[in-house]
Amino acid sequence: MMSAPQSQSIDAGGWQRGGAMAVRRRLVERFVSLLCNVATVVVLFLLFSILWTLVTQGAGGLALPTFLHSTASPGTGGGLANAIIGSCEQTGLAALIGTPVGMMAGIYLSEFGQDGRIVMLVRFVSDMLLSVPSILVGLFIYLIIVEPAGHFSGMAGTLALAVLFIPIVVRTTEDMLRLVPRAMREAAYALGAPGWRVILSVCLRSARGGIMTGILLALARISGETAPLLFTSLGNLNWSTNLNEPMASLPVTIYQYAGSAYDDWVQMAWTGALLITVAVLATNILARWWLTRNGSAQQ
Amino acid sequence: MNKPIMDDTTGHDTGTLALAIRNLDFWYGSNHALKDISLDFPARQVTGMIGPSGCGKSTLLRILNRMYDLYPGQRATGEVLFDGRNILSPSLDVNVLRSRIGMVFQKPTPFPMSIYDNIAFGVRLHERLSRTDMDQRVEGVLRRVALWNEVKDRLGASAAALSGGQQQRLCIARTIATRPEIILLDEPTSALDPISTARIEELLDELKQEFSIAIVTHNLQQAARCADRVAFFYMGELVEVDTADKMFTAPHAKRTQDYITGRFG
Repeated sequence: MMSAPQSQSIDAGGWQRGGAMAVRRRLVERFVSLLCNVATVVVLFLLFSILWTLVTQGAGGLALPTFLHSTASPGTGGGLANAIIGSCEQTGLAALIGTPVGMMAGIYLSEFGQDGRIVMLVRFVSDMLLSVPSILVGLFIYLIIVEPAGHFSGMAGTLALAVLFIPIVVRTTEDMLRLVPRAMREAAYALGAPGWRVILSVCLRSARGGIMTGILLALARISGETAPLLFTSLGNLNWSTNLNEPMASLPVTIYQYAGSAYDDWVQMAWTGALLITVAVLATNILARWWLTRNGSAQQ
Repeated sequence: MNKPIMDDTTGHDTGTLALAIRNLDFWYGSNHALKDISLDFPARQVTGMIGPSGCGKSTLLRILNRMYDLYPGQRATGEVLFDGRNILSPSLDVNVLRSRIGMVFQKPTPFPMSIYDNIAFGVRLHERLSRTDMDQRVEGVLRRVALWNEVKDRLGASAAALSGGQQQRLCIARTIATRPEIILLDEPTSALDPISTARIEELLDELKQEFSIAIVTHNLQQAARCADRVAFFYMGELVEVDTADKMFTAPHAKRTQDYITGRFG
């Protein structure tokens, strides 16, 4: 047993420890938290003012004809139907092409490559593609597809978007697979599972939430791209789902309409912008929902 | 006290060997991690492996199911005899080997799937069972590890929702579901609380009726409680192997004595 504390030790000034240094530390902490709060408010303000502007300006065009009619000459009551279908078709197909290619490359990088030269090269190229300006991708597809074919086409637009889509999926697939604990892989191998089964049944399953999120984020990213479509699918004033012809899309239509002198075209541009934003927002929310749903299933 | 190594009081055939290691050397790159090891694993007994961190006991365990194959630069020479073959032979089918020599790891590693599928996964790799046979196999092994009553109403739920101790029992169930002859356990209770640990130890006692068991542990009491024979490793060498009784009361080597009395480790 220890003896009872001496009475003078009660007032040993222990709480004054640190003195001026502690006071300064508290002040710095308060100042920094204030800065963080201000920054948060600024970011939220920007975001909400964009959304607010889009809603107030774009909501006027949210009527049935917008979704039923294709773009038309000023003053004749056109809609955005051809641009909406064109955007859906091109981004959807780009995702269909890009998802398997990107996932397989990501699996290769994470599971088979170790530290070989090919892996380093693929990873380097893929990472570089992530940061290439999208207009260069458009020019590239223009050179290898549009020019030889002699005409713009929805297929060229789709491929340009796929080129932007793939590296995002490669990166998330590789990152998510690398997060799978080594112990879990070994446990699967220890049951006598061949490598491909371990990857398919255990690793990919464990990483599926993250990979799905990556795919949805990539989808959100390409659905707003304008530059790569300008040189590839060009735009089309009429309804067309033919991949061999020029194809309209929301971003390109917005680009063409927003700068025009006609009020109804400008209105359509706002509405198109609102539609894209809502779609991207919905995709992002879906991605987050996926991640938390799968995350909570792991608890 | 001085029981013979091959004890027959339990009424089981303890005279046969499940596995025999002969002159085994192992390298991590240029690091000579195991030096000239020869060690027998009697059938249907628990062989405990003890020693300070880095002494090579886990390394040895990972040789027995060729887990080291996954990592380039790791190399073993010598012989590990199991069912008439040297399992180090490159021509051996490691997937079959691993179904016959199962392994349970330090941390519970439930797969990201349902409780049922965690067990069915390993079975499906090696056997085609009808739905009812599979149901029976799953129920059988879950009963075996005393988990059935806790999970029978939620076999379709994610295995990740189980507690740590339950997860580890699930991992043992998963391992015995492929009907191995030997079970390797690499510090199976070091991530568990005392109650879960006690349940796993009880389980080991029961499993040795049917399986031969090799367990690596840092916990000397655990080795004393669970193991029939104990092998002491130090710096890549097998210092001494004897019955658990002898090992903890009258070890031969000075290094063994120092280790079990807590002078280092």
